[in-house]
Amino acid sequence: MTKSPFNRRLLTVVLLVVYVMATWLAANASLSIQSLVLVAGVFGILAISLDLVAGMLGLYSLGQGGFFGIGSYVTAIAVADLNVSPFLLLPVVIVVSGLCGVIIGAMSLRVSGLYFAITTFIFTLVLTVMATDMQITGGTQGLLGPAFPDFPTGLAWLGAPVAWCILLALLAAAALVWNIRRSPLYPVLLSIRDAEPFAEAAGVRTSAIKIGIFGLSAAMAGTAGWLFSFLGVVSPGQFDWSVSLNVLVMVLVGGINTTLGPLVGAAFVSMFPAVVDINPWLEEVLYGALSILAITVFPEGVVGLIRRQFGKTVQSPVISEDAGAVAPSAVPPTRATDMAGGDIAVECRGIEFSYAVGPKVLRDVNVVVRRGHIHGLIGPNGSGKSTLANVIAGRLRPVAGAIFVKGQQVNGVSPSGRARLGLRRTFQAAQLVRELTTSQNVSVGLYTKIPGIVRRAAIWPLLPSGQRDLGWMTTQAVAALQSVGATNWTERRIGDVPHGVEQLTQLASVCVAAPDIIILDEPATGLSSGEVDHLARILSQLKAQGVTMIIIEHQTRFLLPLCDRVTVLNAGEVVLTATADEVRAHPIVRQVYLGE
Amino acid sequence: MSPLSNPALEISALSAGYGRFDVIRDVALRVGKGEAVALLGPNGAGKTTVLRAIMSLIKNRRGSIRIGDTDVSDFPPHRVASGYAAIAPEGRRLFTELTVEDNLVLGAFHLRHEKARVAALLASVYELFPVLLNYRQRRSSFLSGGEQQMVAIGRMLMSDPEILLLDEPSIALSPVAVGIVVKALLELRRRGASLLLVEQRVDIATQVCDRLYIMTHGEIVEEMTPDDIRRQGFDIINKYLG
Amino acid sequence: MLQFILSGLAIGSVYGLIGMALAISFYVTRVINFAQGQIMMVAIMITATISSAGYSPWIAVILGLLSSCIVAVLSYVIAVKPILAFNRFSFGWLVSTLGFAVMLENAAAYLWGPTSRPFPAILNGYSIHIANAVLTGQQVLAIAVAIVFAAAFELVRKRTLYGKLGVAVATDPDMASAIGGNTTVVAIAAFAISGLFAGVAGILIGPSTFANPYLGSTYGISGFIAMMIGGGTEKPLSAMFGGLLLGVLANGANALIDSQASDWFPFLVLVIILIVTPRGLFSSGGFSFPRLMRRAR
Repeated sequence: MTKSPFNRRLLTVVLLVVYVMATWLAANASLSIQSLVLVAGVFGILAISLDLVAGMLGLYSLGQGGFFGIGSYVTAIAVADLNVSPFLLLPVVIVVSGLCGVIIGAMSLRVSGLYFAITTFIFTLVLTVMATDMQITGGTQGLLGPAFPDFPTGLAWLGAPVAWCILLALLAAAALVWNIRRSPLYPVLLSIRDAEPFAEAAGVRTSAIKIGIFGLSAAMAGTAGWLFSFLGVVSPGQFDWSVSLNVLVMVLVGGINTTLGPLVGAAFVSMFPAVVDINPWLEEVLYGALSILAITVFPEGVVGLIRRQFGKTVQSPVISEDAGAVAPSAVPPTRATDMAGGDIAVECRGIEFSYAVGPKVLRDVNVVVRRGHIHGLIGPNGSGKSTLANVIAGRLRPVAGAIFVKGQQVNGVSPSGRARLGLRRTFQAAQLVRELTTSQNVSVGLYTKIPGIVRRAAIWPLLPSGQRDLGWMTTQAVAALQSVGATNWTERRIGDVPHGVEQLTQLASVCVAAPDIIILDEPATGLSSGEVDHLARILSQLKAQGVTMIIIEHQTRFLLPLCDRVTVLNAGEVVLTATADEVRAHPIVRQVYLGE
Repeated sequence: MSPLSNPALEISALSAGYGRFDVIRDVALRVGKGEAVALLGPNGAGKTTVLRAIMSLIKNRRGSIRIGDTDVSDFPPHRVASGYAAIAPEGRRLFTELTVEDNLVLGAFHLRHEKARVAALLASVYELFPVLLNYRQRRSSFLSGGEQQMVAIGRMLMSDPEILLLDEPSIALSPVAVGIVVKALLELRRRGASLLLVEQRVDIATQVCDRLYIMTHGEIVEEMTPDDIRRQGFDIINKYLG
Repeated sequence: MLQFILSGLAIGSVYGLIGMALAISFYVTRVINFAQGQIMMVAIMITATISSAGYSPWIAVILGLLSSCIVAVLSYVIAVKPILAFNRFSFGWLVSTLGFAVMLENAAAYLWGPTSRPFPAILNGYSIHIANAVLTGQQVLAIAVAIVFAAAFELVRKRTLYGKLGVAVATDPDMASAIGGNTTVVAIAAFAISGLFAGVAGILIGPSTFANPYLGSTYGISGFIAMMIGGGTEKPLSAMFGGLLLGVLANGANALIDSQASDWFPFLVLVIILIVTPRGLFSSGGFSFPRLMRRAR
């Protein structure tokens, strides 16, 4: 990535000019070629709309055909019956299909990804049946779509106006998704897809974002339908479940979560019948076979395959064995100390927890964590330490008892709400996005620090403030990684780093937000002894800045010297809360850890 | 003849992992016939991965695994489970929809044509854990943690394997239940079973086992006896286990 | 009233059998085989072809069932196993099973032509009077066969060692292989059984629909609705109850609303049920208000 911004801008301008010229050619081409290109263009928008949710959020919608149908039918019916201008209808179509998306998303996303796919599938089925059976939609015959208004005579040399409209809309859709991919929202979306607990712990309202993005995707599909209505007849067969399936085939064959993949796929699928000139049934058989073949042999799609073949080979940086020797640079930003709640940072009162079946995991747990303390939590495996951490962070709801964070009762507050209160946490098994770099993962931790990150994402690269904020985030993320001793790994993807670096990345993503309270669930797991020493130093520095920490750890040699107070849990009960020395001398601790 | 000259389990140069990084590297260990060996180490050291690799539950693995006289390195999991090795995994992982007895009988799936042998094994499991006799027809999800652990150990015994693999049998159990499990392990030793025990609790490992391997960062770094641990006390624990 | 309930139960048992076929393959592999309706269609087409070639309808039926079992196993080997081997949690099977359905449907249309062919009448010629209702022998057969197959399935699942192994694979495939179960063999067996159920559904419906290559999607979707209404994703037997309910409701809508109502009424029922209890009516959790409230919070 050595291209200067100027070169990149020039490249963009050249590409745009080429695209506009190609559009002009298409707009003046023969009718058969034109309709081939325009149908492919409409499906390209549909494929992009699906890639937005399937690629970035892992939501496999089978409802794109349905939204597509809504757009077409609303336009065809309104123009025919009410005689309104098609351009006035565009906002209506966007709002209606977007709202449908939001409602379906809100209904189904709470359950699971499979359930979401099934619900959207049913949605498409219902719409097809409605379109077939109702009077107003013209039954199986369908309706004739409206004609697209002509250019004024002076502009006739431009060719068919509908071609301009469709191809520019395709450009806009591709640009929208391209922009999101280059905005700081992108790592956030991928973290919702791959590591939802991590995203929540960074303060992201994950369900709201999922629903919102699905609404956006539905609106794009609706717009595709609006465009499609100008291309001729609108009938139920064009929007049934096989269309939703075809859109999914386009995305998967072309390459999911790539900018070009959905376009390549759309071109392939929509031009397939025109190119393969055999018996129509055999052609369908071939199409079915090819889609199976594509999904089983190239699960990453055409673009993914090309990328793998010609992708840059990155060299593994030398693992700095003396990570511990790197002096931790001043640990992240200055924080305005929030004194709410007085001396007590976190308090658990009478916490009881059990899963739906099985015995109690926590029994009447009372723990008080004082502001600025490092509070250790030890006990044998299965004693309930991680469960307690999850209860404090909001991932699990206690059966009884109350939790106070900075004096505020937080029983009803979601994990992301608690993160915004200044309570951050790490996970025992690192929850990160494997295909992003360490610094991109860390930047997810800054989510709450960037105002309007969601609103601005669609046009991010165009905003001067966007470039500035992106630069600031990268600097912060890199600085945070440096401060935890992962300097050499800032540009490596998580999938390519050892476990210890994952742990450090987690820690950096927490520190970068400058929280008041941090819960660390086994931070030393998987670290080498040098890295463990380094970790101890970082934690002491954080403490010096007034950060309160709750640390779960097995490695008592690492943990006990750091702690102001230690709580020992056994079989879900607090054995004692005391200083490190008192804990070392306690008989149960000696038995469990020493075999005495 | 010392037990080590005729091992129940012998692993050499075993590496295994999930993604592109190996979780365990170049692991070598032996368990003699009738011997009990513990694998100790901090969380994330790769102990569970060793057991899963022995059961062939990890695709990405290299090295040699011999059980008795057979090289099982290339066996698929269901063949390893056919009388070579059996596992009582971490978290028990019972078939929760099935009854206690169904869970146990499924453990002897590879002996399904030898009815008499299955009946004898079942009787010996109920002899080891008489309390399970009361719950034979109860769905296994309705048992307490300790009882579930007994079913998991029983299910492992039902396949009558050459080597028993136990992954943290004490996890999430009350002190009373831990006592029962330890007693059962000692009884299995008396019956001559060979076992490889992954544990976090040093007291259980030293009480049950003849030898201990210490694992950190995916490698076996030390081999010792319970006496070594008792002699060196806190030092050794601090050095490896934290 | 009795008439439409009884004939609703008859068509409902066919939906239930397809629903169970979907649920059985889902139970073991967590994959919805969208080609299930087309697998049913294969049984119908083969049976029709063999019987019109002059063989006894019973031989035709047996070969038809055999062919649907084989095609179902093929769908696993071609469209499901490679996907699960790559990533057990990906949704690639949405594409591959639907792609398989497209292949089957169009291959059948190419081989047999798009028009309907005669199907052996089996018991369609007889009629039976129950109180003031009249059923064909085929309808009675459908209800009886559905009950027998559903009961037999539950019996095998609950009482035999192999059935229990199936349950084990469904709950925890890794652990099931660690006790000596060959998960691939279990999955193939489950798909063969699902093919048998779909094939039986085809034989039961064939005399009234005749043999047509495009039967698959309509009945596949009805079976899917039956599974979702009943909660068959958690327990295959529930799909049968879902199917019976669906049959009665659709027939009732036809009789009481208008003759087109059975096209859209099932969807309405499905949407309402999924909003109220997303896991289906007869799933193990069942309908419970407290659970609903907990989810809403």
